[in-house]
Amino acid sequence: MKVVESMFPNARIPYGTWGSSYFPAWQTSPLAEVNIGQFAGEAMANILGKRKVSRKELEYLVIGSTIPWHWKFWNGPAVASCMGQRIPGFQMEQACATGLSSVIIAGSEVNSKSYDVAGVLTFDRTSDSPVGVFPERRSYRRTEVIADVWDNFNFDPSTGGTMMATAGLAARKYKIDKKEVDELTYLRYKQYFNAKNSGFLDRVLFSFDVLNVQGKLLGTINEDIGVREISLQTLTDQRELDTCITSGTQTHAADGMATLLVASPEKSKELSSRPEINIEFIAKVDVRTLPGLMPEAPGMAVQKLLQRTGLTMNDMKVVKNHNPFAVNDAIFAKTMNYDWAKMNNTGCSLVWGHPQAPTLTRIIIEALEEAVDLGGGYVLVFGCAAGDVGTAGIFRVS
Amino acid sequence: MRSSTLQTLGLGSVFEIFQNGKLPVTAEELVEQIFGKADNRGALVISGANGIVGAGKTMQLGSRLEPFGIPIVALDFPGVPDGIAKQYPGLVKAFGKGNANKVMGNIIKYSYDGKTLPKGLATHNPKFLLEAIPEILDIKKEHYKTFRENFPDIDIWSVTSGFPSSQLGVGIAHPAFPHEVNKIWEIVEPKPSASSKLLWALGLIPMQVSDNWAFVLDVLFCGLTLAASRFNEATNMPFWKTDKYIRKFYGPNPFRAHDAIGAAGATFLTWSCLHHLSQHYGELFTPTDILVEKKDGGMNWYPLDHFRPMVDWSMNEEEIAEFNSWILGPLFQMTSIMLHENRSHLSQMNLIGELCAQFSKGVLAVTRNLGAAEVKKIVNNYHKLHPEAAKQAWYPEVYDKIDSPEWQQLYVNAEHDGKVGVISINRESYNHDVNAELNRAIDWLKSNNIENVIVTGDFHISTQMVGADTTEFFPAIEDANIGIELSKAWSVTARRLNSDFKTSVGFINGKRCLGGFLELMVHCHYLVAEENASLGMPEVTLPVIPGMEGCHWPLRKMNSTNYKNFLYFILSGKSVKAKDAKGWLTDYAGNMEDSIKMAWKLASDADHGLKKRELNENCILDIPTEISGLDNMEDETITDARKAIMACIQNSCKATLADAISVQAKHSGDFMTTKLCKKGVVGSAYTKTWKV
Repeated sequence: MKVVESMFPNARIPYGTWGSSYFPAWQTSPLAEVNIGQFAGEAMANILGKRKVSRKELEYLVIGSTIPWHWKFWNGPAVASCMGQRIPGFQMEQACATGLSSVIIAGSEVNSKSYDVAGVLTFDRTSDSPVGVFPERRSYRRTEVIADVWDNFNFDPSTGGTMMATAGLAARKYKIDKKEVDELTYLRYKQYFNAKNSGFLDRVLFSFDVLNVQGKLLGTINEDIGVREISLQTLTDQRELDTCITSGTQTHAADGMATLLVASPEKSKELSSRPEINIEFIAKVDVRTLPGLMPEAPGMAVQKLLQRTGLTMNDMKVVKNHNPFAVNDAIFAKTMNYDWAKMNNTGCSLVWGHPQAPTLTRIIIEALEEAVDLGGGYVLVFGCAAGDVGTAGIFRVS
Repeated sequence: MRSSTLQTLGLGSVFEIFQNGKLPVTAEELVEQIFGKADNRGALVISGANGIVGAGKTMQLGSRLEPFGIPIVALDFPGVPDGIAKQYPGLVKAFGKGNANKVMGNIIKYSYDGKTLPKGLATHNPKFLLEAIPEILDIKKEHYKTFRENFPDIDIWSVTSGFPSSQLGVGIAHPAFPHEVNKIWEIVEPKPSASSKLLWALGLIPMQVSDNWAFVLDVLFCGLTLAASRFNEATNMPFWKTDKYIRKFYGPNPFRAHDAIGAAGATFLTWSCLHHLSQHYGELFTPTDILVEKKDGGMNWYPLDHFRPMVDWSMNEEEIAEFNSWILGPLFQMTSIMLHENRSHLSQMNLIGELCAQFSKGVLAVTRNLGAAEVKKIVNNYHKLHPEAAKQAWYPEVYDKIDSPEWQQLYVNAEHDGKVGVISINRESYNHDVNAELNRAIDWLKSNNIENVIVTGDFHISTQMVGADTTEFFPAIEDANIGIELSKAWSVTARRLNSDFKTSVGFINGKRCLGGFLELMVHCHYLVAEENASLGMPEVTLPVIPGMEGCHWPLRKMNSTNYKNFLYFILSGKSVKAKDAKGWLTDYAGNMEDSIKMAWKLASDADHGLKKRELNENCILDIPTEISGLDNMEDETITDARKAIMACIQNSCKATLADAISVQAKHSGDFMTTKLCKKGVVGSAYTKTWKV
């Protein structure tokens, strides 16, 4: 394995201290009915308990969340209290780039020796998203009302375009063929169900019984509700909503949380169920591409990341991305001359959904777990985010 | 078999009560001894009377001492919110408005500045000071000094939550929550005083304990809270859920209790107790970070209403084993200290946990049932999780004595004089432990060739007999066979009172005898009761079907003219006074002294003048199938419960005595799995505490 310098030599991700909820599709589960900040705090405590990590180990909490929730003003400290631990915290947010940046911020805090252990907790509830009422003097109505998720998806204030339009535009720019996109999507579903059937997901995802206000069972979140096996023919038959975009080749809104820890090298060994595993931060970049071309941004971020680290795609043992549109992967493969069949081996957000902040966190967790299975190596995670942004990071598992 | 707890108060044994034909002492003579003669009674002063403890004890003692004309002086700082007035509604509920007004009218309130006693105080001739002021040693000592300077002959007791008597320089009477009704007092004094005996004579439950840091109750309850907080810190399981598991497995819910009492004050007291204990016994008692945080922050243990729990928690078998190590391990180690120090009579130590801290079984009973080897294993497992606790204050050898009578007869004792035996039961509700101990007591008397026996409460810890411990029914709610076996086993024991002795006398000395305990007692050849004792079979209100032959045994002993009395009694669930049940439930009911004498006459084969009611062992076919005058006929639940009980009555009476035990057990066991039972009191409690 080529050795490159770590961006945070004093920080590690302790193996086996992470976990994520399943991501039920929006409006399909009890998660549609909870204060997601509270749920995330309680769920993190539960995951850490199952991982044999005391909440007392945490000194700081980076939370990532993009959709306002009740009492969001109180952010990290409020969520930490729901976890049972009175620690300070900080909120991170940049749409679907949130998960990776939250991990990086926690790494930075630990690397600078401010803390020995920092938690990363990302969560979002797209279901029944709140509605904001904003004074807006440049609008003819003077007061605008927007539903946080859908109205934002449908209007990028920088370009005036919709999220979906960026996928169609990028597909046309790179002359992507719908047949390839359908086949790619079909493989992504197969990868997910293979991982699920192999038990891989059981090692990273946790089931939760959610209680109602009377303390009775509201429901159990024990699968990525809404994800069904799909045939290639079904995908082929679907109507295009924009170039190469069908309902099957794009992700769906979901609810969920995902968490991991960042710790000093010594503390990481202490907390990990397998202290011999060393997980380091190597590098991370964000880029912003031209207006309305969001799906090409992740590839550009990866290119920049490789240039800066001197690594190549051949050095990557695990490649995994947040791909709200299947064309993202086709464009990445084309621009990076990389076989899309080699990436996203255990599933991806195209299949299991898009709860925004925790999306990339789950991708990181799954990617690190896969790298451990493969005996270590470099792990590349990347994805797109609102605003034509691409984000990419590299971790090293040894 | 072992010493009676009554003996620790210097009041002799239970056997001696019957032998002497009277109670060892009366309240009147003790009141005179402590407060002076009726024409010149001194006062009881309670300082800190507006606090939770002070106000509660002002009510408890005020209501009992008012009939003797003893003024209660309530002393507190000026400006302290009135804690006594808050007690009034409870007083009215317990005693009626007239009596409540009398009690309140006997309370004299004074404010004082903490230094100079009010001038008017001397006019009340203070004879006894019950100090309930804050837990600051110097302030307490100064307080005693002031009183002694002004009233040199005054007796002083502190209700301190932790300081030993040797540090305070006064006696200690450590009460238990809720203070207005809980009868237990842990008493520290060189030898049993008239004041302790007076508490007993007033119907309270003083228990002599040794002079060590903290009290039995506090070691157990604060210790449990500490153990639970350590479990929380190790596993992150929230307090509310940890409470649910503790409640299911052991009985208390320590965190909820702190919040209910008032988290800020209660957590401070818990911390204070543990802090002092840790200074003497080391890391075992060191308060956890979260306990310190809650103490300093004054926050509730349970989440605020708007953060009512959202994520449920569960445990697999491995996690339950770890839970047991975290919770039972320290409790067993803490108990080993108390045993090592001989803090109290074992029965008392065991029952303090049940009566004051909601343990479903006392820690000693749990320990005994597990056995010494298992107990040591659990403590060792705890030490693996918390190695610092292993460094000191662990006395495993105390558990090597588990086979001794003191350990084996925690709830039931037996005494005899070579001719007459007395079996005394100190647990208010009947459970498997009582059943096993009762069998051992009978075996022991039989092995000593005792033919006549009196079965009674213990005149000390058990002030009433409330029936079966319904938590024992919980396993039967999902499995009828368990209920049937339980019913049979307990009935077999009850039958021994009829078959294993020439003469057996059930003696009801307490306020009431209900349900399973009444079923047990009616198996005796004679039933003697204090005339005002309430007798009842409230099973229909729960509903459950009586499991210890209550549906046929009493009927087999009564004249058919009384069948309707009994059917009304069992189907209404209403209690009757012992004096009103003569001839069909009781054989004799008189005042306490006469009843004691009668029981002794019966048991000692003296001339008693009572005719033994014979037991009909044949089928009884003329039991009425309907009964008039019952209330709540429109209530479907109670009507269905009555039908089920009536079916049991009919079928068990139609059987011979030999067969009836199985018939009754089947009805009882089967009923516990029905929807009717599940939605009732027992079923609801089962769902609430066991379905975690």
